[in-house]
Amino acid sequence: MADMYVFETTSLLEQLDQILMKTENESSFAEEDINEIFRTMHTIKGSSAMMGLENMSKLAHAIEDMFYIIREDHPVITSMETLYDIIFSASDLLKAEIENLQEDEYTPTDFTEQMNKIEDFAAVLKGAPPASAEAAAPAEAAPAAPAAEPAAAAAPAPAATPAQPVSASGLTTVKVFFEDDCKMENLRALLVINRISESCAELEYIPEDIENNGDTAQTIIKDGFLVKFRPAQGASTDSIMETIRTTANVKNCEVIERGSEAAAGDPSGNVTTVRVHFDDDCKMENLRALLVVNNVRDVCEDVTFEPADIEDNADTSKIIVEEGFVVRFKSDKPQMVLQVIEGTPSVKSYVVEEAPAPAAPAPAPAAAPAPAAAPAASAPAPAAAPAKKAEAPKPAAKKAEPPKPAAESAPAAGAAKGGVKQSLISVNLNKLDVLLDLVGEIVITEAMVTSNPDLKGLRLDNFQKSARQLRKLNGELQDAVMSMRMVPISGAFNKMTRIVRDMKVKLGKDVELIFEGEETEVDKSIIDQLNDPLMHMVRNSMDHGIEENVEDRIAAGKSPKGKITLSAYNASGEVIIVIADDGQGIDPEKVLAKAERNGILTKPASEYSEKEILNMIMLPGFSTNEQVTEYSGRGVGMDVVKKNIEKIGGSVSVDSKFGQGSSFIIKIPLSLSIVDGMEISVGNSIFTIPINSIRQSFKVQPNQLVKDTTGKEMIMVYGECYPLIRLYQLYDLKPNTENVFDGIVILVETDGKSACIFADELIGEQQVVLKPFPTLLGNYNIKQYGMSGCSILGDGSITIIIDVSNVISDF
Amino acid sequence: MAENTGGSRSAYTADGIEILFFNIGESIYGIEIKYVNEIISVEQITVVPKIPDYIKGVINIRGKVVPIISVRNRFGIEEIPYDDRTCIIVLEFEDGDQVGIIVDRVQEVLIAKPSDISKAPDSKNVNANRYIKSIIEIGGEIKLLLDCDKLITD
Repeated sequence: MADMYVFETTSLLEQLDQILMKTENESSFAEEDINEIFRTMHTIKGSSAMMGLENMSKLAHAIEDMFYIIREDHPVITSMETLYDIIFSASDLLKAEIENLQEDEYTPTDFTEQMNKIEDFAAVLKGAPPASAEAAAPAEAAPAAPAAEPAAAAAPAPAATPAQPVSASGLTTVKVFFEDDCKMENLRALLVINRISESCAELEYIPEDIENNGDTAQTIIKDGFLVKFRPAQGASTDSIMETIRTTANVKNCEVIERGSEAAAGDPSGNVTTVRVHFDDDCKMENLRALLVVNNVRDVCEDVTFEPADIEDNADTSKIIVEEGFVVRFKSDKPQMVLQVIEGTPSVKSYVVEEAPAPAAPAPAPAAAPAPAAAPAASAPAPAAAPAKKAEAPKPAAKKAEPPKPAAESAPAAGAAKGGVKQSLISVNLNKLDVLLDLVGEIVITEAMVTSNPDLKGLRLDNFQKSARQLRKLNGELQDAVMSMRMVPISGAFNKMTRIVRDMKVKLGKDVELIFEGEETEVDKSIIDQLNDPLMHMVRNSMDHGIEENVEDRIAAGKSPKGKITLSAYNASGEVIIVIADDGQGIDPEKVLAKAERNGILTKPASEYSEKEILNMIMLPGFSTNEQVTEYSGRGVGMDVVKKNIEKIGGSVSVDSKFGQGSSFIIKIPLSLSIVDGMEISVGNSIFTIPINSIRQSFKVQPNQLVKDTTGKEMIMVYGECYPLIRLYQLYDLKPNTENVFDGIVILVETDGKSACIFADELIGEQQVVLKPFPTLLGNYNIKQYGMSGCSILGDGSITIIIDVSNVISDF
Repeated sequence: MAENTGGSRSAYTADGIEILFFNIGESIYGIEIKYVNEIISVEQITVVPKIPDYIKGVINIRGKVVPIISVRNRFGIEEIPYDDRTCIIVLEFEDGDQVGIIVDRVQEVLIAKPSDISKAPDSKNVNANRYIKSIIEIGGEIKLLLDCDKLITD
């Protein structure tokens, strides 16, 4: 329960940040954004109250109130900055509180100060003369405008999504009863409200004080719980009813009063109701009716029809034959629409019904599942655009969304989710970890079975055939499990938007953040580890990279607006992430001088290449910025970043042109666990080299061996010389052979560097499951000697996995 | 395996502490039974390069990679070839980490009463003494209780 709350609230807050950031960039609040913020805060308020987190609930309530004012009164917001500051800091407080909540000892934080700020600002908003809807938000269709105002506003604003023409009286009223003896009916009612609040543009309920008043439970038991709502865009009465019905402990719910925009209630009066009859014996009347609907939809908006389920329910054709097919639409030129209807094949006649009786019961389609659902089946279809005709069961789909960037769901909230069925579930990461471990064990066991020593020398054609099949299936299983764990990196990137935004304000630098390839997928556990390093590097770029003064940028011929680019792409089993800025770059001389001062040089200063110098900034305790700022330069520098990235098996390098900018290149493995490897032996030890870093393996011919002046051995391959690394020397092992011509040489390449590794012999190719070294060994920094982990082989022995880049780097 | 976790099982019976005793040469050492997960015979140890001498390498215990420490080496005593009495005592610590220690032979489990136990002398000059938690006198014999945490972390 608490888990779910933390997960939901965190993603809601992230979503909130996304909306805020978007609107801040566009410097305008669209109606749907306001609604979305309102709903978000409402949900947080409700669920916090249910969890007994009064302080969070109250803070959310204060923000909700403020947005209520913004939504209803359309005040002229004089200080957008203050508004954003207030909401951002409130969102930060809520996030911090969620973090606190996960600590063992949780004490609620006092939000009074923040709440006062919000209330003060709300008071200012309230005090401001309410501008007309048009003035405050000219682009809006004003669906939330007071009832007196005709909803016809949709027409003049073509950019806006069509408003639902529901008059104030047109709220759908639903009475909900809960299961007998389910207790705490008021809180269950609140749950209902929370679940549907996101899909409702307007929502009222009786009794109102369910949240704070336990006595309302009795009222609900006796009279039922009354919910009045108007569906938001993208939702329909049906989907809301369904949500209510599927909420825990709801016994039944019935529609008492139908809020029918299609009914006569529309004050604009331009809804036309047409009863269509088809040719006798034309068959499949329901599909013909659908054709009519589709044609009508092409020319006008807000088309509803009865029976509503013609598409799926063939029985409706009978109803259509008997009673005709009722189409309601809204158009300025009803004549044109009527012509369209007339022109549709098989239409025999049509009658325009002047005043459709709102109370006229819709012919209940026989196939409607529950009696309560029958009236709902004829629910007003809110959609006008064809894309909207299938409404996604939004609240359900929303819950199911995996913990991936809220960005995708947030902007889409207002837009139609055409025909999307709920197909996402959220799964605890631990379960995926267990699954991955199991798959790893299966891979090992498979090898154990198929290369079992008992089978040696036997002729086993059928066994081999089955074994191959098993191997293939195991491979597919592995891929499936891996793909389950892959999430787009955009989540990690999006978090940076917020950091850049905050620093922009604080540092007074104008910077834009650009994403490239944010859809690149990386293992979830890697992404989790990536947040801190990314944040650190983006901060670095903002603080040290981008020039302090705009004049400097202009003088250097750059655009006054700084640019930080985050890009990600796949390359040979790795994901490469680049954080680039077009700032002042790194001054190699300054770095070298400082390194010399700090005494971290290991050879004469003149012998360092530029690349080596640049990479010095990642040595422990190095920070080129003399000044410590709030954001960076506190001594925890790039060395920590480097360490963190190495922890997940990655690497970082720096590239910089002084004066033109710098970039940090992070390479991380796609996934942590299963590696295709080549096993080699040195004496009694078995090592595994990842296949993707092997170029070839070969026996050395005498004419290939070259020695340079210092006696360093090189191997000549295809006219190029590569240094020879004798693994037994590197690792102080006893080899079976020290003679280069007897053993095997493997040409490896990574990061554009190549070398030849000398080993006793090749054993073969095998998939291995990477296991980290036990903690005891981890203390000895063996990774820097090129051992990235170990793995258990089919026969139960242990192999050490070699990280080629670290082996090469020493040569 | 969870119920076997070292810390969760109390080694304190009503009478005292349960201790597993083993031999290193002529000396008898003990470790609290709460750390002991199992005792296995010495099998092929995979050498890991570039680690201190006293860590002999790693072995595979039911899919888990477990580092192996030579107690002789740790104590600075000359190492002897493994024979059929040589054992690996697999210890499990509270955080779930497992470490194996190689001992010459395992003796028995005894319960040490509080009155049997006395504090170790505060001498730092002998290498082995650094790892001794207390001195136990049982059945007229002097035995040394090892401090498992120090044995692997120091």
